Amino acid sequence: MDNSEATFYLSQFIGKNLRIHTTDNRIFGGQMKCTDKDRNIILALTYEYRAPAEAEIRRAVEASGNPTAPVSWNSRYVGLVVVPGAHVKKIEFEESGYGKSVVVL
Amino acid sequence: MAENHAAASGSAADAIINLDGSTSSKDGTSSDTRPLPVGLPLRQALHHPAPQPKYHDITEKFERACSALNVGQLVKDEYFTLFESIGALEIMDPKMDSGFLQPGETLEDDYDTLAPLLPEEVIGIMDQLLCYEMAWHTGYPLSQTLFTSMYIDKLLWPEPHTFEQAQFYRGGLPEERKLDVMLEVLRAYCLALIKCCDFVIAKITGRDYFEEEDFCTHTYNRVLFVNTPMDVFLRELDAAMEGLEDIEFSIDQALRKALVSRLNFRKHFLTALDLDCPLDHLEKYWPPISSTLTPINTTHQLGKPVPGAFSTKLQRRLASTVPPRPIVELSFPDAFSNLKQLCLDCSEATRFTTLPPDPLEYQSFLWAYASRSPPPLPYSRSYLASLLFHPTTLNASTSFPLSDLHTILLPASPLIDPTNWTLSPPLNPMLPKPPRIQFALLIDEFIDRVGAPYLEFWTALGQNRCRLRRMLGHVILAWDQLQSDAGLVDEDIHRAASELGIRDEIIEFPLSSWTYAKKLWMVEKMVLLGFEQDIYLPDEYAAQYSFLSSISARRRTVLSNLTTHLETRHRAFLASAPPDLQSAHEVEESIQHVQSLLADATGISALADALSRFYTLALYLRLLPSPTRPFSTETLRYELRMKPFLTLQPPEVLPFDEFMAVVRPFGPFENLDPGFWDAVSRPEVRVWGEMEKSVKTAKEAFAKVKRLGAKAARAEGVEKHWAKEVQGALASCVALGVAVAGVRSAAKGVKKGDELGVRVEVPVMGSGKRYAEGWVVGRVGKK
Repeated sequence: MDNSEATFYLSQFIGKNLRIHTTDNRIFGGQMKCTDKDRNIILALTYEYRAPAEAEIRRAVEASGNPTAPVSWNSRYVGLVVVPGAHVKKIEFEESGYGKSVVVL
Repeated sequence: MAENHAAASGSAADAIINLDGSTSSKDGTSSDTRPLPVGLPLRQALHHPAPQPKYHDITEKFERACSALNVGQLVKDEYFTLFESIGALEIMDPKMDSGFLQPGETLEDDYDTLAPLLPEEVIGIMDQLLCYEMAWHTGYPLSQTLFTSMYIDKLLWPEPHTFEQAQFYRGGLPEERKLDVMLEVLRAYCLALIKCCDFVIAKITGRDYFEEEDFCTHTYNRVLFVNTPMDVFLRELDAAMEGLEDIEFSIDQALRKALVSRLNFRKHFLTALDLDCPLDHLEKYWPPISSTLTPINTTHQLGKPVPGAFSTKLQRRLASTVPPRPIVELSFPDAFSNLKQLCLDCSEATRFTTLPPDPLEYQSFLWAYASRSPPPLPYSRSYLASLLFHPTTLNASTSFPLSDLHTILLPASPLIDPTNWTLSPPLNPMLPKPPRIQFALLIDEFIDRVGAPYLEFWTALGQNRCRLRRMLGHVILAWDQLQSDAGLVDEDIHRAASELGIRDEIIEFPLSSWTYAKKLWMVEKMVLLGFEQDIYLPDEYAAQYSFLSSISARRRTVLSNLTTHLETRHRAFLASAPPDLQSAHEVEESIQHVQSLLADATGISALADALSRFYTLALYLRLLPSPTRPFSTETLRYELRMKPFLTLQPPEVLPFDEFMAVVRPFGPFENLDPGFWDAVSRPEVRVWGEMEKSVKTAKEAFAKVKRLGAKAARAEGVEKHWAKEVQGALASCVALGVAVAGVRSAAKGVKKGDELGVRVEVPVMGSGKRYAEGWVVGRVGKK
C-alpha cells in the first residue's frame, strides 16, 4: 500500500465510530479524530467498556443457576482519549445499520 | 408489544419475536399455552427493528495503512486541532488513565459494605465523611472527596429506581441477613449527607458562581436523590435515632450519645440547607445548628478510622474525563472549623432579611459580608445572594436604583414627585408633553437603563474579594457607559425644568452626578482591593496611592456640589411659607448621608495623598526594595496598571509624562534634582509639611465619618464592621504620622550619599499588621 492509498484508506474513518480493543482487555468506542504512523488513535466522545471481573461472573452464575447468565459490562464516559499504538490489539469499524456506508474496507 | 401479538398463534409469535430480535427469552412453549383471543384478526403493528450496526475487523489493514504513512504525517479531521488534542487522556498511562490497572490490581475493592461495624467505626466513618464534605465545600470535586466512600457509592450506584433501593446492597439481602443497627444508622447519615450535597449544588448553581474555580458541582452522572423530598431523609434519620435509643440494643452510653449528636446535627443541617425555606423563618434554621456542633467535636476522639471504607479506585467508575487524582485529606479540626464558619456565615447572612429595605444598607451589608475573615465559602455567598435576589427582596415597592437616587440625590425633588406619574399625556401625540410627564418618563427610562449595571454591581459584591476586584473592572466600564447615557437624559431634564421655571430646584446634571459618584466609589474600592490583595509591589505604592487620591478628590468635588445644592434646598423648604417641614426633614437625612460620603472621600483622598508622598520620598531615599525589571519599561508598566481605567471618561487617566511629574517630583532616580537633598534634610520645609497636612486632613475627615455614625453612612445593619473599618483608617493615619516623623528625623541634615540609618518595613497582607487591609502603611525602624 503506498502513501496516498493509505491516506485515503485511513481518512475514510475520520468521524466514524471505531471500537478499539486494548491490551488490557478494555474496549474504547468513539469517533476517530486522528491517527499517525505509530497507530496512535485519537477518539472523541469515547466510552470505556470493561469486561466484568471473574468473581462477578461466578456470582451471577451461582445466583441464577444459569451458566449463561448475562452479566453486563461496565461502561463509562471518558470523552477525548488517545490510545497509543503499542496498546492497540484490535480495531473494529462500526458500520451504521442505517443505509450503506461508503467506506471501502 | 411482541408478547401481545404473540398471543395470536404460535408460528406468528415466532416470526414477530424474531423480528424484534428478542429471541433470548423465548422457549417456544409459552406461546402454545396461552389462550387464543377470539375472532380478532391478527393485526401486525408496523414494527421495524432498529438496524443493528455491523462491526468489521479492520485491524490488519489499518495497521498496514498506518505503517505506510510518513513519519510526522497525521491523518486527521480538518477541524481537529493540536490544541484540542492536548486535552486527550492517554490510555494506559497510569497518570492519565483512571481505568488503568497495575499488574495484579483489581478494579473493585473487596471491602464488604455489609460487614458489621462497631459504633466506634461508624463514628470514625461519619467524621471522615464530614471532612470530605467540607473539603468539597472548599472547592475540591466530589470524585476526590465524598465519592471515594464505599458506602456512598453503594447507595448511589447502580442508580436506585426507588428510594428503598438505596441500600448498601442491591437486590435481596444475601442469606437472609438482617441489616445491623449500626449500618442502618450509617445509611441514614449517608443518605442525608447526599441530600445535603444535592441542596448545596442546587443553591450554588442557582446563583453566579464559577465552576471549578469556586466550586465543583460535577456529580459524575450520579443522581443525588434530586427528586426525593427532604422529609423522607428526616424520617430515615429519626428512625435511626429511635433504633439507637432502643433499650434492647446495648451500646456504651457515650457512643450512643456521640452517634445521636451526629444524626441530630445532620437533621438540622439538612433542614437549614433546604431550598424552600420561607424568608421570614430563616433565623430559626441556622442558629440552632451551632449548638449541635460542639458535641461532634468533643466526641471525635471516640471514633475509630476505617481507611478501607474509602478508595480512589471508585473514581474509575465515575463518568470522568479527567485523570485520576488523589483523595483530598482535610484534617478533622480544619474541617470542623470550616463547618463552624459555614454555619456562622449563613446565620450572619440571614440577618440580611432584617435589614431596612434600603439599597444603600444592602450595599454596606454585601461589602461587609465579602470582607469577612476568613472569607465566606461559596455556599454561604450563594446563600446570601439567593436572599438578595429573592423575589420578595427584589420586588420592593420602589425599585432599588430609584430609591438609591432618591436618598443620595433627589430627596423631595420635583423630579421624582410621585404626582408626576399620575398625570396623563395629551391625547394628541403630536402635542408636546407637559414637563412633569416628561420628568416621569425620563426617570422611568433612566431607571430601566440602570437596572442591569446595578444588578451587575451587586453580583460583583457577592463574589469573593479577588474576583470582586476583577469584576469591578468590568462593572466600572458598564457604569461609564451608563454615565454618558445619563448625560443625555440630564439635558432633557434641564430643558423640561427650564420650561417649568424650576431650574434652581434641580441640581446641575443630576443623573450623571449620581452615576459618576457611584463609579468613582467603585474605582476607589478597586484600587484599595489591589492593595489589600498585594497586587502592587512596594515601589508601585506611590503611583497607585497618587491615582487613588486623584479619584477620591474627584468624588469629593461631586459630593460637595451635591451638599451645597441640598443645603440650599433645605433652607428653601424652611423659608417657604408655611415651612415644608416634611421635605426639609427628608433633605436633612440625605444631607447627613452625603456628608458622611463626603467626609469619607476627603479622608481617602488625603490619606492616599499622604501615603503617595511618603512612598515617593521613601523611593528617593532608597528605603524600599525595588526589583530589577530588565524586560519591562516604566511606560509599559504604567499602561498595564491603568488598563482597567484607560477607557474611562471621566476620570481620564493621566498621560504618562504628567504622571511621571507627579510621582517623580525630583526627577529620575539616577539623575536627581540637586535641590532634593536640601528639601528632605530640613524638617521644616514644604515636603514634610504637605505630608503632615494631608495626614491631619485625613484624620479629621475619618473622625467626622465616625462622628456622623453608621446611620448616616447607611451601614446600620453592619455597624460593627463599619466602625472597625473607620477605626482602621483612623489608626492608619496615626501610624503614617509616626512613620513620617521617623523618616523626617532620620533624614535631618542628611547629605547626598549618606546612609539614612532607618528602614521602611512594609506589612504584608493578612499578617494582621495592617490597621486596614487597603491602607499599607510602612513601619520605620532602625537598621
